[in-house]
Amino acid sequence: MASQPVLSVRDLSVELRSEGRARRIVSDIGFDLQPRQIVGIIGASGSGKTVLSRALVNWIDPPLAISSGSVTYKSQNILDLPPNRLRPLRKEIAYVGANPMGALDPTLPVGSQIVEKIRALVPGIDTTEARRRVVDLLGAVRIPSPGARFHEYPSQFSGGMMQRALIVDALATNPAFLVADNVTQPLDVTVAAQVMRLMRELTERFDTAVVFVSSSLPTVSEAADQVLVLAEGRIVERQTPRKLVERPEHPYTVQLISEIPQIWTDSAPVVESPARTGRPLIRIEDATRTYRVRKRGTFASFSDVRAVRNVTFDVYPGENFGIVGESGCGKSTLMRLLSRLESPDTGRVVCDGEDIARLSGKALLKFRRDFQLVLQDPFNSLPPRTAIGAIIEGPLKVHGMRGADKRRERVLAVMSEVGLSAALYEELPLGLSAGQRQRVNVARAMVLEPKVLIMDETLSALDQTEQFKLLKLFSDLQARHGLTYIFISHDMAMVRRVCNRVAVMYLGEVVEIAENGKLFFDPGHPYTKALLSAIPTLEERRYRPEECLLEGEPPSPIDLPPGCSFASRCPKAFDRCRVESPSLSVDGKAGMAACFLLEGGPASIAA
Amino acid sequence: MFILSFLVRRLLQGALIIFLVTLLIFTLLRVVPGDPVRLMAGGMAPEALIEQIATEMGLRDPILVQFGRYMGGVIQGDLGQSFVRPASGASTGGSGFGDSSRGDRAEVLTLIADTLPMTLQLAALAIFFALVFSFLVGVPGGLAPNRWPDRVAFYISSIFISLPNFWLGIVLALLFSVKLGWLPAIGYKGFAYTILPAIVLAVELAPILIRNLTASLASVMQSPFISVGRVRGLGHRRIVYAHALRNASVPLLNLLGIQISGLLGGVLIVEFIFDYPGLGLLTVNAVLQRDFPLIQGIAIVTSAIFVLINIAVDLIATLIDPRLEY
Repeated sequence: MASQPVLSVRDLSVELRSEGRARRIVSDIGFDLQPRQIVGIIGASGSGKTVLSRALVNWIDPPLAISSGSVTYKSQNILDLPPNRLRPLRKEIAYVGANPMGALDPTLPVGSQIVEKIRALVPGIDTTEARRRVVDLLGAVRIPSPGARFHEYPSQFSGGMMQRALIVDALATNPAFLVADNVTQPLDVTVAAQVMRLMRELTERFDTAVVFVSSSLPTVSEAADQVLVLAEGRIVERQTPRKLVERPEHPYTVQLISEIPQIWTDSAPVVESPARTGRPLIRIEDATRTYRVRKRGTFASFSDVRAVRNVTFDVYPGENFGIVGESGCGKSTLMRLLSRLESPDTGRVVCDGEDIARLSGKALLKFRRDFQLVLQDPFNSLPPRTAIGAIIEGPLKVHGMRGADKRRERVLAVMSEVGLSAALYEELPLGLSAGQRQRVNVARAMVLEPKVLIMDETLSALDQTEQFKLLKLFSDLQARHGLTYIFISHDMAMVRRVCNRVAVMYLGEVVEIAENGKLFFDPGHPYTKALLSAIPTLEERRYRPEECLLEGEPPSPIDLPPGCSFASRCPKAFDRCRVESPSLSVDGKAGMAACFLLEGGPASIAA
Repeated sequence: MFILSFLVRRLLQGALIIFLVTLLIFTLLRVVPGDPVRLMAGGMAPEALIEQIATEMGLRDPILVQFGRYMGGVIQGDLGQSFVRPASGASTGGSGFGDSSRGDRAEVLTLIADTLPMTLQLAALAIFFALVFSFLVGVPGGLAPNRWPDRVAFYISSIFISLPNFWLGIVLALLFSVKLGWLPAIGYKGFAYTILPAIVLAVELAPILIRNLTASLASVMQSPFISVGRVRGLGHRRIVYAHALRNASVPLLNLLGIQISGLLGGVLIVEFIFDYPGLGLLTVNAVLQRDFPLIQGIAIVTSAIFVLINIAVDLIATLIDPRLEY
């Protein structure tokens, strides 16, 4: 392109300085951003993506420091500008990060904070004008009732809504370019797909060039005109997305592409189901859990939050059972019911023939031993000042294993089984990577030789490479100990790879239960199709986002309307859906779904 | 609507708290040794007379009966009469026992109403001094963690917390009043008399406020929205004053609610030292004289004040940070 680039980066290097030593995080980066162009930057976690994207807007704080290079905007190097000359330029340089929830002051309404930014950067604009512009933009990013949302607080926004509000914040001053750092990472797939679509539209409409940074190649390749591949702080390859996917040159790119999970291709994994015979290990019967929350601003009235509604399914020994759905769909409440952190209001959870709500004393301890949880957050789920050996030993003490030597032996055995070296026994978890931390979590659960592991988003915080390794570990452990897994996840690609059977949840209900192949190749429920259409993938999609992708977000589980809970977002809803609620009905041999569009009678056999 | 329901709920809770406090004080006062009638009538009064007075005053009834009678009065705004103090003025406590008729005894409510405003004035001034000083020292400290302003804040609060208030009161009175003659110290003849005791109380309050303010401001400055604010193009001053201090003020407010309750202990000593005619001095004398009705009255009034202050603090905190729900 002949036109003058909006932004040109040359030889940019950033290093981490601590205790007199300096370590390069980002080295010798150079690229140009043309007007209206979208440049994608892709890299795994730890490749220096976030540092690079912050360096582009001169947001490098100690111990990080820019060691060389320039970022030239309007023929001045913004890295050299003093703060007082840089600040007015923020009008034209916008940034949206990966953590939408923390980006605004929690004590002030969202709208007035965006107005505050406009007024700080555009001199002479009056409040009414700024306010009008913000409300217009909130409407443009499809936030419903923008006038009322303007006055709401960040905590009242969902993650997806907040990310859209921050895009408004970035675009409110008509910036020349926008750096978007992993903007879709914290969002649910359907919401992430909406946000992506929105970003593309807006850059056209507002004439903004974008640097789009992400760890997901499918996401980047859909959005960008050009893709830079970042590995260990260096650009190893630059290509148009199509070429990059078809003919990757650098081995790192080849590896990245090979790690993208396959969903529908021939090389996609085939997950066989074990025979479901005998007594189910876990049977959840018509379980319902409702929370009462006080309505704000009333004296004694409560709202019912119906977190889990009439859920019924069985899990057989040796299965990998998946529970998927977006945030707020009741997955975690269901996990709490399955692990008896809470009891259902109505219905039962039966394990080994016994209603777990009735267990107490020894029997309860036995149940706890057999059913172990592995949690989502690798950083907050380990006590920071306890040695790894002691963390794993904890459950043994609780369950009354005598003899320090015997316990130590058992802990070391489990550590070697999950791939933690014995040298870590006395170490604190501080220096561990997310993957190793999850191994500690798995070891802590495995040390009691459980029958069932409930994995609540255990792999969500890990990148593809680590996920691969842990999934391998899980299947080894399963082969050796005959474990049963329940995976609770929002990651359809991961579920595709490991789960025999999958339950899809929406607003507290199971809307579909099907075997892996059936669910991904012939889903019965429109919501499942929407989820499938939003999986980030390079493959030819079986379900076109244009046909299936949802608008908006799930309604609140408070005071649900009558009829099918999905009706408000369903592209195929008709009159009956708004009056009557469908129940799970048999859909072919391998599944059941709750939709009136399916033929067949109500479910006669439990799933 | 929110504020209204909040107030109704909290005031009802507060009434319950005050009731329980009253019950506790009432019971405790009657099980501790020391017969108030003996004090009233004087050491030389015959035993029979003491019994007679006590029975007349209802002091020999079961405690619950006495309490019921008392609460009946409290609800009508009658806190009873002092055992000791005559309505006319100065009290000494029964040296002679010229059994003055009960009508001459001072109303507890009047006694409190005369002294409470003095103490409120003192407390308000002390809190004002403490807040101004804490902000002057704590804000720079919170903005520069581990650098010299932070250390200065740390040293100042360490020194202040180590100063005993009775000692500081005497030293300040000696210095400013006796040596320099800048401020009056003993008694009360005008607003200037409030300043020295208020400074002593402020020195007692300030260190905890400073530490809390530096710590919470420093942690708020670490929040993502502060650094994002800079990238969004907000000026430094705006970030600090409109956002950081706003967020840091919530823990400070909660602390202040507790601190004000703790102020009572300080007020007792400080008013005693400066002979400041407030509620503290009244309390000290009431306790020394075993003036049950007066002690009870003071307890009810102070607990009511604490309840109201905490309701106000929570209300303000909720208005600042709408995520809080009390």
